Amino acid sequence: MDPTGFATELEKHRRYLLRVAQLQLRDPDLAEDVVQDTLVAALTAQDSFTGKSSVKTWLTGILKHKIVDAIRRKQRQPVFEASFAEETDLDEFDPMFKDNGGWVAPPAEWGDPENALSRQQFFDVMQICLEKLPPNTARVFMMREVMELESDEICKELTITANNLWVILYRARMALRQCLEQNWFAGQGR
Amino acid sequence: MNSLIKAIGHIISCKDASRFISRAQDRDLSPFARWRLRMHLKVCDKCRRFEAQILFLRKALRGWRD
Repeated sequence: MDPTGFATELEKHRRYLLRVAQLQLRDPDLAEDVVQDTLVAALTAQDSFTGKSSVKTWLTGILKHKIVDAIRRKQRQPVFEASFAEETDLDEFDPMFKDNGGWVAPPAEWGDPENALSRQQFFDVMQICLEKLPPNTARVFMMREVMELESDEICKELTITANNLWVILYRARMALRQCLEQNWFAGQGR
Repeated sequence: MNSLIKAIGHIISCKDASRFISRAQDRDLSPFARWRLRMHLKVCDKCRRFEAQILFLRKALRGWRD
């Protein structure tokens, strides 16, 4: 593909990359910069794109590195540490469970959830649910589930303990599951 | 045998099981933890459902990305 065609192709993914970066970084200006860096890097590296994966997957890989670099640079500022501590306590009291450890509201039947994966509206709902997560929770969750970083890589990058990580991921999964149940699977848009 | 499994299945609560299920997504559980979870899932359809939904979440996130 000629460079102009390739640039046009890359540009199509800007909005998606911005969404991912914004969820990770929670700083719109920084997110824009990171996405711009990603697209420039991709354009420069056109020759290394083999077409083995989709353009989107390839770009996500580049974005991942740029985001991790940005987080590392941000880490040198102590700004987010306080809110991180709030998010990493797993209290004995968990509102999802009774004091005997049973479910307050057991998971509902979702039918065949695979069907949802072919619906754009489902991903729109998922986007909203992700945006509802507390900022650091969303960031860590995306590093694990979208960027597919290993647990120890995430701990190292963010200087958190394995236990912190598991609490955050647990919270994210509980919240996301509930949000999707309430806003998709419990009747609407099946 | 069935009532024994039921008894063992209640050694951990649904709350504990939900935590094990989440943790298993990121790292192998110890054999003992895995055993306790399996026993609980044998007798608890709510947590079996929860596990399936958590597994689906991972698939859905990858689908969102790709």
